[in-house]
Amino acid sequence: MGLGELCNQSTETFVCHPSTSGDTTSMQPALALYLALCLGSVFAIWPLPRSLQQGSTPLLLSHDFAFEISLSHPPGDLLSAVSRSQSYLQNDKLERLVVGRGAADRAPISGAKQISSLKLVLGGNRTMRSITEEILLPLEERDESYILDIPTNGAGATLQANSTLGLFRGLTTFGQLWYYSDGKLYTLEAPLHIEDSPVFSWRGLLLDTSRNFIPVDDIKRTFDAMSWVKLSTFHWHVVDSQSFPLQIPGFEELSQKGAYSADAVYTSGDVQELVSYAAERGIDVVVEVDTPGHTAIISESHPEFVACPQFTPWATFAEEPPAGQLRLLPDAANFTANLFTAVAKMFPSSMISTGGDEVNVPCYEQDLEMQQYWNATGQNLNQTLSMFMQATQQSLIKAGKTPVTKEEMALNDQLTIANNSLILVWKTSADLPRVIERGFRVIFAASDYMYLDCGAGGWLGDDVNATSWCDPFKTWQKTYSADFLANLTDAQKSLVVGGQHQLWTEQTSAANLDPITWPRAASGAELFWSGPGGNVSAALPRLHDVAYRMIQRGIKAIPLQPQWCALRPGLCDLTS
Amino acid sequence: MVSFALLLCPFAVLSPVSALWPLPKSLQTGSGALRLASNFAIHVSVPNAPSDLLAAVQRTTSFIKNDKLERLVIGRGAADASALAHTKTLSALTVQLHSASQAKILSSIAEEARAPLSERDESYILTVPADGSAAVLSANSTLGLFRGLTTFNQLWYWSNGEIYTIEAPISIQDSPLYPYRGFMLDTARNFFPVADIQRTLDAMSWVKLNTLHWHVSDSQSFPLQVPGFTEVSEKGAYSSSSIYTPSDVNTIVQYAGQRGIDVLVEIDTPGHTAIISESHPEFVACAQARPWSSFANEPPAGQLRLASPDATKFTTDLLTAVAKMFPSSMLSTGGDEVNTNCYNQDPETQQALNASGKTLTEALDSFVQATHTAVKAQGKTPVVWEEMVLDYNVTLANDTIVMVWISSANAAAVAAKGFKFVHSASDYFYMDCGAGEWIGSDIDGNSWCDPFKTWQKSYSFDPTANLTEEEATLVLGGQHLLWTEQSGPSNLDSIVWPRAASGAEVFWSGSGMKVSAALPRLHDVAYRFIQRGVKAIPLQPEWCALRPGVCDLTA
Repeated sequence: MGLGELCNQSTETFVCHPSTSGDTTSMQPALALYLALCLGSVFAIWPLPRSLQQGSTPLLLSHDFAFEISLSHPPGDLLSAVSRSQSYLQNDKLERLVVGRGAADRAPISGAKQISSLKLVLGGNRTMRSITEEILLPLEERDESYILDIPTNGAGATLQANSTLGLFRGLTTFGQLWYYSDGKLYTLEAPLHIEDSPVFSWRGLLLDTSRNFIPVDDIKRTFDAMSWVKLSTFHWHVVDSQSFPLQIPGFEELSQKGAYSADAVYTSGDVQELVSYAAERGIDVVVEVDTPGHTAIISESHPEFVACPQFTPWATFAEEPPAGQLRLLPDAANFTANLFTAVAKMFPSSMISTGGDEVNVPCYEQDLEMQQYWNATGQNLNQTLSMFMQATQQSLIKAGKTPVTKEEMALNDQLTIANNSLILVWKTSADLPRVIERGFRVIFAASDYMYLDCGAGGWLGDDVNATSWCDPFKTWQKTYSADFLANLTDAQKSLVVGGQHQLWTEQTSAANLDPITWPRAASGAELFWSGPGGNVSAALPRLHDVAYRMIQRGIKAIPLQPQWCALRPGLCDLTS
Repeated sequence: MVSFALLLCPFAVLSPVSALWPLPKSLQTGSGALRLASNFAIHVSVPNAPSDLLAAVQRTTSFIKNDKLERLVIGRGAADASALAHTKTLSALTVQLHSASQAKILSSIAEEARAPLSERDESYILTVPADGSAAVLSANSTLGLFRGLTTFNQLWYWSNGEIYTIEAPISIQDSPLYPYRGFMLDTARNFFPVADIQRTLDAMSWVKLNTLHWHVSDSQSFPLQVPGFTEVSEKGAYSSSSIYTPSDVNTIVQYAGQRGIDVLVEIDTPGHTAIISESHPEFVACAQARPWSSFANEPPAGQLRLASPDATKFTTDLLTAVAKMFPSSMLSTGGDEVNTNCYNQDPETQQALNASGKTLTEALDSFVQATHTAVKAQGKTPVVWEEMVLDYNVTLANDTIVMVWISSANAAAVAAKGFKFVHSASDYFYMDCGAGEWIGSDIDGNSWCDPFKTWQKSYSFDPTANLTEEEATLVLGGQHLLWTEQSGPSNLDSIVWPRAASGAEVFWSGSGMKVSAALPRLHDVAYRFIQRGVKAIPLQPEWCALRPGVCDLTA
């Protein structure tokens, strides 16, 4: 029996990924084949699990359904997650996206068996920690795997994992199994057996809160949405040349003079609240204080440390206005290192980014103090940059953090950076193999696949015909098709820790945060959980489900197509 | 007192502090500070003032109180605190009709807004003295007074509890360059609840847009419940809750009218009608025929059988019924993207053509004449998309209004044929461009009209480009358009605002003004909208919004 026949089977269960090995490279062809064949599948799971066996028997969720937590002293964040799951089950009311919606399933589900509980079990001999503690562990120490088993008659359904984080991921999956019709919650695909774990541990979203300020509540809402698609990392590009909204103990003058207003500040309390909120939802907050470039606003409080502040024409001194970079001098490096020491105390993550992108050479070359220093010491730009990088990275390493930095720092062979640095590939996907060849671990965030702000037009004034620098718009399909492991050896593949969508906010605020991000960022969530190689036409119906579910939960996700298409999988494809 | 003519103003002054949008025809400002008194009130000195004028005054009062727009400069409102101490206060705005108009029978704003384009009077005169004596707003019509109230609103900034201008005295004489200043919304690809449309109408009125072109139905869904044709929406709406009932329509039309907005409904025919096959398969050719790309510009395929007398009668009856729902003097019968292959492969259409001895083009001509006769019988002026004129040379009444959409370059050809037209060109005014391909299984596809049309692009539009002076008189105005393949209530505001304000100024104030002079005022528009609950996006980092000119390309 071929997979095609399996897909049309009405009575038997089948295995979607018959040969799951845990290896990050061998599952891709099987996944693609499965997705291509099972177009009409009805489940709304996103991201797709590593292994999924499903039947075709309807099963109802009982009105008194309850999660049964068979743990002694379960951590509070697990209990909260369970109670959120319970509430989503009640309130999602997602009707199947078919012509007639929920009404189409009334007949098949009448008289179906009921599932009245799901038992949560911790297996293995891992020390029990809270979800929060688990997600704050270094990437390689996390265990997000889980096994979800739902028998045909619903009896003895279990969710098993080695960690509370795994249980949380499994709860998220469980919440996606159910459709709503006429007051009933049901699946048409019992029995279900899911064995799942992510291909990559870094599954992120970058948000820039400097170009325009994003209030705490909007970030929290973003965390919720991220957790629903199992994203694990919030890369917080908190400051930039335009504003410095982060209040740092001992460095309050930076935000005092650099935030857009007294209201547009993240206090220590805000940060703590955000970090906790994220961690309870299985999200690690990796903060980025971009240095030495993208720091013009520091000149408001510390003009002594900033070269070429607000120099004009800005285009000579920076990629966008205003110009200004931290001087690559011992005093400024010392200031920056101390700043990172203070920032490191605010963020419990094992990782912090020092930025490192778009260092502008003319800015330093035309800075008198830099020139004097170079003349006095005989050093050149790269040597002073290397000194700066080492000072800042060392302060992080001393604070127990793994440094994250942008690709420029890894691709410049004149610089010395820490071997364990995580390198963010952002300029182009073509740079990923180059960084890997240098032996660094990488995060895939290439602008040609992962930038959410592309395509929205030029934002500079007096530039009538300008398009965005990274035109065109990156559709969810484009992201989904990113084959970032292509042509890598197995050893090289193991250096890829994952990837992320990035939202630069020159033209974004709370007003359009949701519609720019969702459901598009879910595309990356599946790319990095399930691995590349998925089929876009098979994914689209499930992604519509994601969007509709998000709307019901208060996220302003956009429709990817006319509803006519959403109700008729496959009919709006290019060649259909 | 500084005084300058309209077209000079933006060139001369890089950082005007007034947040007026669109810019008035004539504006004189001083440099004195003037605060609103805490007991400031608007006195309506209009006998038998219609209730929608009184309601507009109420809204104006409430906006003035709640906008709290701080000036977009470093330090925001605090920058003006010292200038405001010991200034004169304004305690009243008197709203009145010009003496010559006082004898007229007074119409409501709603009635004025739906009068034929050529009969409207949106002009007004507004004076705000520097010495604290009453400001005066006068006009020939309630509609003009409403426009003036909107302007008065925009004069005021907020700082530490004070509402003020630093440009008193102010003297404005204003009227729009073009009578049609629109926004088109497609509610068929995805549905928009009434409340979202109402919010859009509010926002439109704040920048003096005066026409909602409502592309209510299309091939994907038919949400309009039409009396006598209820089966069309019953079977063609996305769900029973995704329907505009006659009462909803009435709500929307009234709401719009009270805000100076005319609702021009479009029932697109004969193309873009696949969904009618759900209730009337007998009238639709190539319904859901595949591959869709052979039969339509997007899925699903399906067009009204234009050669069929029955389908024609059905359509004219439908349009007649729709016309009765909408009080506007205009109604659009669509007419874009007629697919000939659909008809060529439809046996019924071929039989009908054979029986009548007509070519497809002749049949289309008869079909449109029939539908337009029905529209005219209801006292309405028909509106069509450009293909009816340029591709099919359909017989149209001289007063038919044409929408130029495919390319701005086609405006001259439409003008050459002598038709009045509305600029709706995809290369300047399509709000959905640049958002990527929405068709499935098309990984590298872009939107068909890439790139994104920025506000600057729209703002640079010249409504009379390549037209003779005589042809220029055929320009009725223009509009932004939002096709909603990838839009829903979630991103309606953020796609439309503040971008659509760009068109609002082009068609009120005229073209040729500099984008860098407009940008600070447009930032004000966006910030004000946010405060009023419309999710306008920031056009730049706030750092730039606070520093006019510093983020220009060559700054």
